[in-house]
Amino acid sequence: MANLVQDIKLIGNEILWFRQLRENGLEAFGRQGIPTAKTEAWKYTKPRNLNTDDFVIEFSLDEKNSCPKVPFDGYCICFSNGIFNPAQTKLPQGVEVLPLIEAVMFNSETRLFLGKLTDVEKYPFAALNSSYMNEGVFIRIDKNVSLKKPLVLINHTTSGNKNLFFNLRNLIVLEEGAEAEFVEYYTYSGDVKSRYFANVVNEVFIGRNSRLNHYKLQNEAFKSDHIALTTVQVKRDGEYNSFCLQKGADIGRNETRVILKEENARTNVDAAYIMNGWATLDTTTDVEHLAPYTYSGQLVKGVVGGDAKGVFQGKIHIAPHAVKTEGRQLHKALLLTDTAEIDCKPELEIFADDVKCSHGAASGELDEEQLFYMQSRGIGREEAKQMLIDAYLDDVVNHIANEKIKSWFKENIQAK
Amino acid sequence: MKIPLLEIEDLYARVGDKEIIKGFNLTINEGEVHAVMGPNGAGKSTLSYVLTGKPGYEIISGSVKFKGKDLLAMSPEERAREGVFLIMQYPVEIPGVPTSTFLKHSVNAVRKHHHLPELDTMEFIKLLREEGKKLGIDNEMLKRPVNVGFSGGEKKRMETFQMSILKPDFAILDEADSGLDIDALKVVADGVNALRNEKRSMLVITHYQRLLNYIVPDFVHVFADGHIVKSGDKNLALELEEKGYAEFVREK
Ligand SMILES: Nc1ncnc2c1ncn2[C@@H]1O[C@H](COP(=O)(O)OP(=O)(O)OP(=O)(O)O)[C@@H](O)[C@H]1O
Ligand SMILES: [Mg+2]
Repeated sequence: MANLVQDIKLIGNEILWFRQLRENGLEAFGRQGIPTAKTEAWKYTKPRNLNTDDFVIEFSLDEKNSCPKVPFDGYCICFSNGIFNPAQTKLPQGVEVLPLIEAVMFNSETRLFLGKLTDVEKYPFAALNSSYMNEGVFIRIDKNVSLKKPLVLINHTTSGNKNLFFNLRNLIVLEEGAEAEFVEYYTYSGDVKSRYFANVVNEVFIGRNSRLNHYKLQNEAFKSDHIALTTVQVKRDGEYNSFCLQKGADIGRNETRVILKEENARTNVDAAYIMNGWATLDTTTDVEHLAPYTYSGQLVKGVVGGDAKGVFQGKIHIAPHAVKTEGRQLHKALLLTDTAEIDCKPELEIFADDVKCSHGAASGELDEEQLFYMQSRGIGREEAKQMLIDAYLDDVVNHIANEKIKSWFKENIQAK
Repeated sequence: MKIPLLEIEDLYARVGDKEIIKGFNLTINEGEVHAVMGPNGAGKSTLSYVLTGKPGYEIISGSVKFKGKDLLAMSPEERAREGVFLIMQYPVEIPGVPTSTFLKHSVNAVRKHHHLPELDTMEFIKLLREEGKKLGIDNEMLKRPVNVGFSGGEKKRMETFQMSILKPDFAILDEADSGLDIDALKVVADGVNALRNEKRSMLVITHYQRLLNYIVPDFVHVFADGHIVKSGDKNLALELEEKGYAEFVREK
């Protein structure tokens, strides 16, 4: 643990409430430590040997990196190696995007939201993230503003040999009636062999009758760890939809907790993962139905090859008075080799009557009859496999409403 | 002068532990259409899979040459690219893969093998439209996933359509007529006949003489117990229709 908790001076400590958040985080992490196989929430995904690696925390960009491009129009917010990389993005009226630390210092609203959703006693890496809160963004969409283009947060790692440890903390607030798309894109360039560790925490507030479509592509370098927690609160008639594709990192965990706080709040938490080698990619969800007439749907599909391991832990909690609620969950995985592994733990906690709830899990292999049929038409076996993999993930990817973003994900599935 | 296209010599093959092809011999020259008829379970589909390289079908001995090359040494996709095509008795459904996408991959894989440039979208659509018209394959069918939800007859028409797009040098039709109504049978037969020329050869597996009224074969073979037991011209098919296979099937 010594190397993850380093005695560093971060700016902003003069702001009392903010310093308190950091200190609470550090203490909470101290109480929990790095999860082990005995930690129930982490029994399938073992974070790599974080204690022994010589992690480095950096505060400034040693070089200016150009931001990787995405093939769709958006308002880009760039980070390089976990550090904000200012670029000129002209934002429309009604949207505010500030580097987190500026928001803490200059926008008094920040205090009302920051740290309010993240349960540092339950999520050790989020606690650690809190103790290092410094980099990230604060995004606020004004009442009834509907963004035409997506906001795109890109973190680009270029550290070839230094084992960077970086913490990103993002805060997204949609006021009543607002609508937006938010894309997170984690990638790297060059020959990145370092065991860097990206620790991301998002807090998302969905106001009444507002909607966020949240997309994430995790394409980290092959020796890295990427651990992320997004906690979302959805108010009456609000909607939070997410789709996350994980295809990079050695250990990747994308954890989403959605709190459906008021009536008619809705969420779709979809995900896909595709990997080879020795990677572990973990999708963990926790949807809490706290009010009547709430809806949640989860569709998670994975493709696992090599000696890799896919993990899905999906929870639906329905509180006692949350009647007329509907919660759906389905996890499916395709195993490409005999040594590929899937661990799946669905969990339903239903304390209300008169609810509709379902969950399902299935795993299978590529169909030899289909492969042969394609080969007998001249299609190479590897190409045929890729076509079947694309087809397998097709339904979950087709949930993406934005056509351009959908094609971007499809290209990324094919490029593995 | 006759140029052999496919030469099968003393072929023995098994599925699992069961020997099914037993001493099969046949030479098909360029431009010839051979019909194969035989009782259920004789091994006709097995032969078609052996020739196309389906996994699980194991060669015990014998050889198969295609255009003088060792066919059995090639992967299934190489065989297809070299010009072997199989209309399957039971075409496979592939959910999630649109038929047009599938065909584009297929056509371009074959073209690439022959050092031809890939077809661009316009050229490809034109090809689909031209051939589709003849076989009653419309755009709506091409958008649907490969064979998913197609009726038995539609599947066979789609197989014939694929064949007319790929224009193979050698086609095996494994019961291309099963499940077809009379009109569809004509459509499929016309599609097949349109492909007949002095170079292209076919092996037509069928149970019904009726198909051979439309696709008139040069030779007819009776296939029983893993090999050819009798060969003749198209009249042999009429004879079989009358007498059945009794004289060729050993008492068990
Ligand atoms: N995978 C398999 N395992 C075991 N036996 C098999 C397998 N596939 C085929 N067979 C057997 O091989 C024999 C030949 O089957 P095949 O399908 O080639 O017959 P066919 O001549 O095409 O018959 P039909 O006219 O009914 O289509 C049958 O007895 C069948 O049960
Ligand atoms: Mg058969």
